[in-house]
Amino acid sequence: MSRVLVPCHVKGSVALQVGDVRTSQGRPGVLVIDVTFPSVAPFELQEITFKNYYTAFLSIRVRQYTSAHTPAKWVTCLRDYCLMPDPHSEEGAQEYVSLFKYQSPSVTFPKWLSHPVPCEQPALLREGLPDPSRVSSEVQQMWALTEMIRASHTSARIGRFDVDGCYDLNLLSYT
Amino acid sequence: MLQEESDLSLIIAQIVQKLKGSNLYSQLERQAWASLQRPEIKLESLKEDIKEFFKISGWEKKLQNAVYSELSVFPLPSHPAAPPEHLKEPLVYMRKAQGSWEKRILKSLNSMCTELSIPLARKRPVGEQKELLNKWNEMGTDEPDLSLFRPVYAPKDFLEVLINLRNPNYENGDSLSFRTHLGLIQVPLKVKDIPELKECFVELGLNIGQLGIDDSTQVPPELFENEHVRIGQKVLAQQDSAAAQQYIRQGSPTALRAELWALILNISSQPEDVLYYEQLKTNVIQHDLLVDSLIYKDVKLTASNDDYYFVFEDYLYQVLLCFSRDTSVLSHFAFNSASPPKSYIRGKLGLEEYAVFYPPNGVIPFHGFSMYVAPLCFLYHEPSKLYQIFREMYVRFFFRLHSISSHPSGIVSLCLLFETLLQTYLPQLFYHLREIGAQPLRISFKWMVRAFSGYLATDQLLLLWDRILGYNSLEILAVLAAAVFAFRAVNLMEVTSLAAAEAVLADLSTLKVMPLLQIFLFATVT
Repeated sequence: MSRVLVPCHVKGSVALQVGDVRTSQGRPGVLVIDVTFPSVAPFELQEITFKNYYTAFLSIRVRQYTSAHTPAKWVTCLRDYCLMPDPHSEEGAQEYVSLFKYQSPSVTFPKWLSHPVPCEQPALLREGLPDPSRVSSEVQQMWALTEMIRASHTSARIGRFDVDGCYDLNLLSYT
Repeated sequence: MLQEESDLSLIIAQIVQKLKGSNLYSQLERQAWASLQRPEIKLESLKEDIKEFFKISGWEKKLQNAVYSELSVFPLPSHPAAPPEHLKEPLVYMRKAQGSWEKRILKSLNSMCTELSIPLARKRPVGEQKELLNKWNEMGTDEPDLSLFRPVYAPKDFLEVLINLRNPNYENGDSLSFRTHLGLIQVPLKVKDIPELKECFVELGLNIGQLGIDDSTQVPPELFENEHVRIGQKVLAQQDSAAAQQYIRQGSPTALRAELWALILNISSQPEDVLYYEQLKTNVIQHDLLVDSLIYKDVKLTASNDDYYFVFEDYLYQVLLCFSRDTSVLSHFAFNSASPPKSYIRGKLGLEEYAVFYPPNGVIPFHGFSMYVAPLCFLYHEPSKLYQIFREMYVRFFFRLHSISSHPSGIVSLCLLFETLLQTYLPQLFYHLREIGAQPLRISFKWMVRAFSGYLATDQLLLLWDRILGYNSLEILAVLAAAVFAFRAVNLMEVTSLAAAEAVLADLSTLKVMPLLQIFLFATVT
């Protein structure tokens, strides 16, 4: 099943404040980011990926159109999903996060389940070891991913540090 | 596929890829081919028979050790969208700080180069090469004029950088508030408290036997020591890395330590490794590097002046000069927040095909660097083995002590852990030392940066490094630093200046580390 990026428009964050009073001491702890999808054709959302920047908890609400006759309503898919286990320390503060749709054929969008994030140490062996032959076939799929990771590292010529026998250097470079 | 399974597959894929390039892979291939001759290998059950053969012959264990080694060293694969910098260091402000620090070091090295009119690298004339080859085993007798060279930086310069680290998103305010850290480190990294440390270092508990405590002369060896040695011999016979790592948490018997460390670090001296070392030696003979002079100076200033280590001076040159030429060290920069310095072949500035790393291993030594190698000389006398052990120790542990990162074993976390432990469990002492202008970290920083090498007696240092290997973490350094302050608290409460505080803590050579750690973690009223 191929996956495609859905074009979306992410609006700037808006602070939630009580009433009209703006105080310099009261810093709002809740910000709202609106995400709209300009291409209106219905789609099956599989994954949301983002980079965190000091958000401790995340809730996601979706405005869902069920049918032509009933008005659209807001549904909460995710409530207070924890991104930072200790909001006063750096853990999880700048991590990349993916939230997945729970794979269940009978349930359609937007049934969501919160999901352990790569930065937390998942209990990898919670359900016992995966079947080796299945894993080795998955490994083929993962290969492209690791190639991408590997290619993006600076690759050193193995063993040799000179260029054609020459290591006569100028000065160290700052870039 | 569920996320956990895809994570596991990704880890397996990365480990397989890493091991495919290793000697072990070709050895396993050869063994598999050779095993076809054996009568018990049948064509109809080829795969299972070969797997069984590997199990019986000990090759499976070697593979297990290699996998375990990779898991210990490499971080878990990060999110697919995360760029490589994120793996080096996830926090942007820390990456920036490391980048600025590196730039300062490069500037310092460049100015040394231009001031002294000495090139960064120079091919040695044949006569000089012959001369160096002849005195390879006694480079310590050389007395080159090093007066013009100065170390690129000392630990206290690095400490100033760490003190000035700030998270731009952290609201601290200019005035002292309950949110300001009372110590020198002002970044809000997560560090463990004593209950969490007790859980982590459970094998150091009061009711568990320890080498360094329960092997003292007053304790009959039948109570613990004999059995512990017997188990150690069994672990070595089994050649199991993971078991060795678990075992060594209670300390290693002196006679078994060299082999145990090699097993845990997954170092086995193969002919290829000896050849590799010889190749590095050839590189040293052929090219003279500016960093060589820095290494000479460092050895002369530190290890040569140390009562325990001066005998190993020649070994230190043989290891450190080769280390600078070793390009295989470059791979650790994938998970090190630091980056290797870059240069260009003379006259080819800016042309990427002529870009090189300097020094070849990307590591610029600082004042005290040779002390990472010195204690290992007590364990390993064969230069290529000594070299391999040091290199592995560096890419697993020591690099974290001199780069800016948010890693729990990184020096920033260790400093914060030390300060937090002292503040929380010895608040009166902490407050007193602050009041007299003796911030505790200013004294303990140098101990932690050097992993206590050169400060403790060598037998105590080796017991400490046993635990670093056993727990695969450097946090024990911060705990020990706090425990030392706790031990000398009475004297420290009476001092009235930084100099006096330093004098109280100047000599750690009589300390016994394991009792200090045990008391601090398990016997202090919290």
